[in-house]
Amino acid sequence: MKKFIDHCCEKCTHSKENPCKDFVRCCLEGPICHESKACAEQRKEMVDRVALNEKFTFC
Amino acid sequence: MYEKHLMICGATGCLSSGSNAVEEALVEELEKHGIKDKYRLVMGGCPGFCEVGPIIVVYPDEVFYCRLKPKDMSELVEKHLVGGEIVERLLYKGPDVDAPARFYDTIPFYAKQKFNVLRNSGIVDPESIDEYIMRGGYRAFTRALNLDPAAVCEEVKQAGLRGRGGAGFSTGLKWEFTNKAPGDKKYVVCNADEGDPGAFMDRSILEGDPHSILEGMLICGHAVGASEGYIYCRAEYPLAIKRLRIAIEQAEEYGLLGENILGFGYNFKLHIKEGAGAFVCGEETALLASIEGKRGMPRPRPPFPAQSGLFGKPTTINNVETLANVPLILKEGGAAEFVKIGTEGSKGTKVFALAGKIRNTGLCEVPMGITIREIIYDVGGGIKGGRDFKAVQAGGPSGGCIPAEQIDLPIDYDSLNEAGAIMGSGGLVVMDERTCMVDLARYFLSFTQKESCGKCTPCREGTKRMLEILNRISEGQGTPRDLDTLDSLAASIKDSSLCGLGQTCPNPVLSTIRYFKNEYEEHINEHYCRAGVCKELFNYWIDQEKCTGCTACVRACPVDAIEGEKKEPHEIIQELCTRCGSCIEKCPQDCILITRVGSEADVSN
Repeated sequence: MKKFIDHCCEKCTHSKENPCKDFVRCCLEGPICHESKACAEQRKEMVDRVALNEKFTFC
Repeated sequence: MYEKHLMICGATGCLSSGSNAVEEALVEELEKHGIKDKYRLVMGGCPGFCEVGPIIVVYPDEVFYCRLKPKDMSELVEKHLVGGEIVERLLYKGPDVDAPARFYDTIPFYAKQKFNVLRNSGIVDPESIDEYIMRGGYRAFTRALNLDPAAVCEEVKQAGLRGRGGAGFSTGLKWEFTNKAPGDKKYVVCNADEGDPGAFMDRSILEGDPHSILEGMLICGHAVGASEGYIYCRAEYPLAIKRLRIAIEQAEEYGLLGENILGFGYNFKLHIKEGAGAFVCGEETALLASIEGKRGMPRPRPPFPAQSGLFGKPTTINNVETLANVPLILKEGGAAEFVKIGTEGSKGTKVFALAGKIRNTGLCEVPMGITIREIIYDVGGGIKGGRDFKAVQAGGPSGGCIPAEQIDLPIDYDSLNEAGAIMGSGGLVVMDERTCMVDLARYFLSFTQKESCGKCTPCREGTKRMLEILNRISEGQGTPRDLDTLDSLAASIKDSSLCGLGQTCPNPVLSTIRYFKNEYEEHINEHYCRAGVCKELFNYWIDQEKCTGCTACVRACPVDAIEGEKKEPHEIIQELCTRCGSCIEKCPQDCILITRVGSEADVSN
């Protein structure tokens, strides 16, 4: 997962054509539609790559 | 994972003082040491302190390096990045700090600032939608989509957000008008046609945080029932336009723009229209005409754009900074936070561009209600060269000047209006005792006169006549009746002009007459310009008792109009002197006087 629009796994179905109302929240707090520590970790890795400090993200 | 993040100011101010070359040198040094991959380099948005650019902020160390040159990069890499030692000589130093200041929290320029609109500038990569989302971006939009459009308008109204582009009209009310206007096709327009001399607030927001504008427009579109929007941005802002284009592409890729956004059934398409730089196109009806492909000229109102705007459809037009405030209000609990800042009638913060004779030129965001004194002395660091503060021009060519006697005036919409100025878009041009107020009025009026579109007679002809009078006064040809004529012409132009440009362009003249009438009278009755600006109305004279014959003035004079032996008092040959002011700037002893024509007496005070 290099961008938030990328699918974290095959269970993620969000796309422009198949939109999800929770997409924005899902970027940081997801996955929302399924449970997976690995998928959550992928999101955290993305944030950790660019976060300047612990105050960087707003949830 | 990166070891450190190097946020380089990539906004126009720092780019013009060489941040591109600094970045290249930094990359070269990192490559030389084989450590480039360990560090993340971002050409980010503007941290505001243009005076000390180029700037690099190092995270997580929280170190603010400034006034950088490409040659500094080897030391920065070797000492700080490799050796872990802060390069003290590259930290902020100035008369307002006892020791080199390391980060924002110890630099006085930032002490009274409150970053709302500029919350992401210099913090995120403006070309990354992911980073905007990490900072809470598009959450307010998602929340708004879950609300009824009328409820969104109401929330903005309750927050007390007023337009940041000039007049300060209630944004929520404006949205409500468009929301209630009948019609199946409506538009949202972002006015990014920032044209005031010395103003660059909107440019910095667009360059540093373009997604905040997109989010503001998306929320507005939902609130008013619009499915299409335009960003009208002047073509002189190529970096802003580039970053807006990237932001739009990304938002489309993420399904945040286009059809059935996030599955809410909301459609919104966004276009960029590049303006050719006419000042009048900042006026909303002229701007709409320009988008439609017509000549940028205003039309009478009513009908107002909320009823009949772009292509005859109901349209909401908001300025860049206004839209950047919207996500802050619509986020969960945002409105309650927003109203905590500011005054009773002016909520939130305001971004100002500090220019003129001030030490810390740049961009600042301060709570509404802050005083002029606090902006000039605490944020701006005082007047350059230790001179006295004389006045500040607020609101650009449509605004007015506020004299030193009113230095404790709070900056909010109502106080500025009472003082004869306006908030305008946020340009603050600071003046010292070497500024001639007649010349200042002449400068701003010549600007608006050139920019007058010519459609209505009062503005087209009236500004020309006023300018002729001001030219006469500054050449020593004024008559006592001229002040009355200026007053009555100004009143007619204000009353009868078609658009805001004409209705406000006499303000600089009226406010300078109101507060500096004595200077006008000196020009007219005594043929004397005390500031030493109007060339026909003063002489330079060297104080023979003070002059040490250092020859600094002789070397500075471009027309060889100063003579005298070394270590002997010098003299100005009046017939040759062009009164360019080079000598007075260079004299280390302050022995060059501004005198009345034909007089040796120092009357400059």
